[in-house]
Amino acid sequence: MEIVKETSPHIRRKDSLVRMMMDVIIALLPCIVFSFVLYPLEALKIYGISIPTMILSEFIYVLIKNKKPIDYINKTTFKEKFLFAVKKYRLSNFLVPLVSALIFSLIMPASASWYAIFVGALVGIILGKLVFGGTGSNIVNPAALGMVFSKLCFGSSYSYSKTPFFDVAASGTPLGSISTSISNINDYSLFDLFFGMVPGTIGETCKIAIICGGLFLLIRRAADWRIVVSYLLTFTVLMLGAALSVNSLNPSVGVFQFLGVNFFSGGMLFACFFMMTDPVTAPITSPGRFLYGALGASLTVIIRIFGALPEGAGFAVLLVNLVTPLIDYHKWSKEKFTLKNILPTLCIPAVCLVIVVLGVLYGGVIHA
Amino acid sequence: MIKKTTVISDTKRILGQLPTIKADVPSFIYIAMGNARCQKADLYVSNGDHVNCCQVIGMRHGAFFDQPIHATVSGTFVGFEKHYHRSGKLVDFIKIENDGLDTLDSSVKSRSEEEIEALSKEDVTNILKDCASVGLGGSSFPSYIKLQTNETINTILINGVECEPYITSDHRLMLEEPEAIIDGIRILMRAFSCHDARICVKSKYADLRGVYTELLKRYEGEGISLCPVGNYYPQGWELEMIKSALGISIPPGELPSKHGIIDFNVSTVYGIHQNVRMNKPVIERDISISGDGVCFPSNFKVRVGTPIKTLIEKCGGYKNPDIPKTFILGGPMMGASLPSDDCIITKTVTSVIVLNHSSYEEEPCIRCGSCVLSCPADLLPVDIMNAVKAVDKERIKALNPLKCVECGLCTYSCTSKIQVTDYVRRAKIFARLP
Repeated sequence: MEIVKETSPHIRRKDSLVRMMMDVIIALLPCIVFSFVLYPLEALKIYGISIPTMILSEFIYVLIKNKKPIDYINKTTFKEKFLFAVKKYRLSNFLVPLVSALIFSLIMPASASWYAIFVGALVGIILGKLVFGGTGSNIVNPAALGMVFSKLCFGSSYSYSKTPFFDVAASGTPLGSISTSISNINDYSLFDLFFGMVPGTIGETCKIAIICGGLFLLIRRAADWRIVVSYLLTFTVLMLGAALSVNSLNPSVGVFQFLGVNFFSGGMLFACFFMMTDPVTAPITSPGRFLYGALGASLTVIIRIFGALPEGAGFAVLLVNLVTPLIDYHKWSKEKFTLKNILPTLCIPAVCLVIVVLGVLYGGVIHA
Repeated sequence: MIKKTTVISDTKRILGQLPTIKADVPSFIYIAMGNARCQKADLYVSNGDHVNCCQVIGMRHGAFFDQPIHATVSGTFVGFEKHYHRSGKLVDFIKIENDGLDTLDSSVKSRSEEEIEALSKEDVTNILKDCASVGLGGSSFPSYIKLQTNETINTILINGVECEPYITSDHRLMLEEPEAIIDGIRILMRAFSCHDARICVKSKYADLRGVYTELLKRYEGEGISLCPVGNYYPQGWELEMIKSALGISIPPGELPSKHGIIDFNVSTVYGIHQNVRMNKPVIERDISISGDGVCFPSNFKVRVGTPIKTLIEKCGGYKNPDIPKTFILGGPMMGASLPSDDCIITKTVTSVIVLNHSSYEEEPCIRCGSCVLSCPADLLPVDIMNAVKAVDKERIKALNPLKCVECGLCTYSCTSKIQVTDYVRRAKIFARLP
């Protein structure tokens, strides 16, 4: 009988990266199904382009990264080198880019051209992840980077059209109409917003699907509840501030109507559940995660209310991803909750609240 | 999975119900010359000499203390043999041929109640020094040094938590020898002239709680109490136990005695009872043999110096011998893995665990933070790992890895199956460099 020596500990938790990625895929299923119901052909086109692009890029990256050690005696043939690298390709190398591709597809509009999708996916996976060293080393969310790149380059060609499922008078997304004037909230009913019967990207309009998937993620512990809770809390508080100020200027805008429309429109919920919680780009400590969520929500609100583009969640995710190394700076980040740790989590949203309220009151965002 | 690990699944519930089997004393007994704390040793006997049970046959020399070596059987000294020690090293063992008589040495004499009541703290310290009493929970720290503290001790904590999975030897000892343990506690309380002793056990063990609540009624007014603590791992860590039992957080690196607290393992207390009552060193100890690699996991009371192979045979041998095994002395979280099963029970072996070996494929770290959430010392294991990979000495020092107690939770809870604890161990070496 063979006895193997190893270092302690000798037992492990039943858990794996594959399990975590499978959980995310399962959590995305309701949104995917919804996207097929709403835009069958366009969804097929978007998935058909982005998934192979991302998975193939990762495969080529694996081939390039795993070089066979040089053998000075026997000449290694190309086939041997190729097989050596292929053997290093694991299930996680397939699942991780698949998750990125699915998230990227769900936040693309149905009208995006195949070229916009292809370039977005390519930039997202290569510049967002592979150049940094693949899974676990990326500093920004690949899906968010791809979406933002594609939107900035090809955004003018996007249009949010009607589908047979809903027939609305207004054109453009709910947030688009809010963007023209912040008090412009009565174009869509809350019911339509909640069940996704509004124009928007293919996957992020149906809030009920997103909430189901998000709850599944939280139950399976594939996402950290700290980020979600702090994000949603901060978002609600800031939007409440904005709603009260709008209401004081224009009493016809109901506070809760404003809050509800903002809560259930755009990609805020999707970004909160599926993009903010990506552990690779999030801080590692619990106080850091609360701060991260609060920062993300503050940026989302500010971009939404004051930004040139109607939607802020994707940009906010990218920007807070860049703050993560700062939050994780080893001299500051501590796992224990101390006053020093909690203070920024409270102060930053408070400052943003002041900015939002003053901005709405005196910034001229409301056009009569 | 982003989750703090608290409970480690194990097979304790079944094993804890099995009674302790008294194992036969084998015909040859092996006693280690050196151990982890004492590298050098002198021998007082020569080849062919007859030794008595409990006779001092040598002296180990440690860095700051000497420790007598006791024979654990009577018989003939027949030379040296190399075997694996608990620490994982090949060490010289003294081989004694057992004559089966167990003739006790003249130094073993029982003390009467009056004599024991008259003992001062210094007397107890000397007795423990002569009997080579060490921490039997696995630390093998000499008990008499603990007794030499000049601080006033207000509380004695008895560590019966045994938080590692698979091990039940302390659990069985506490069930089977409660009177002796309480006697040991009373001796310690008298020595420290302290009036508060708490027996810490996991609150989920209803049997232990029942036995001790019932027994302690006989000692009412003496200040001994039962203190059920949490069921999680690593509750048995000194500082974690003090925090649960008394609510005092002691920073790592500080001695609990500074705060008026001292803690002993239950088997140490049982040993102290034998040392003081009968002036007899620890020659027997309870061990559990378990894991999915042995046929019938059992609890044993064995003579110190028994080869482990004979005990494994009593457990029905190895299960599925064609699967490679990991052979662990101590618990599966912190115990040492040995390259061979040719090793000997020493005083501080609490258990032998044989697991079917499973190799894990490492995935890249996805910074899920489970190690950070689980770390009982509030460290950032993933940051330490990255600093070690980058050989960034300043960052390693700033992350303070010396606080680590190597409980193994970071590796245990790693989503990507990375051996994080190994990186932290390397960081500790870096941090000690000037």
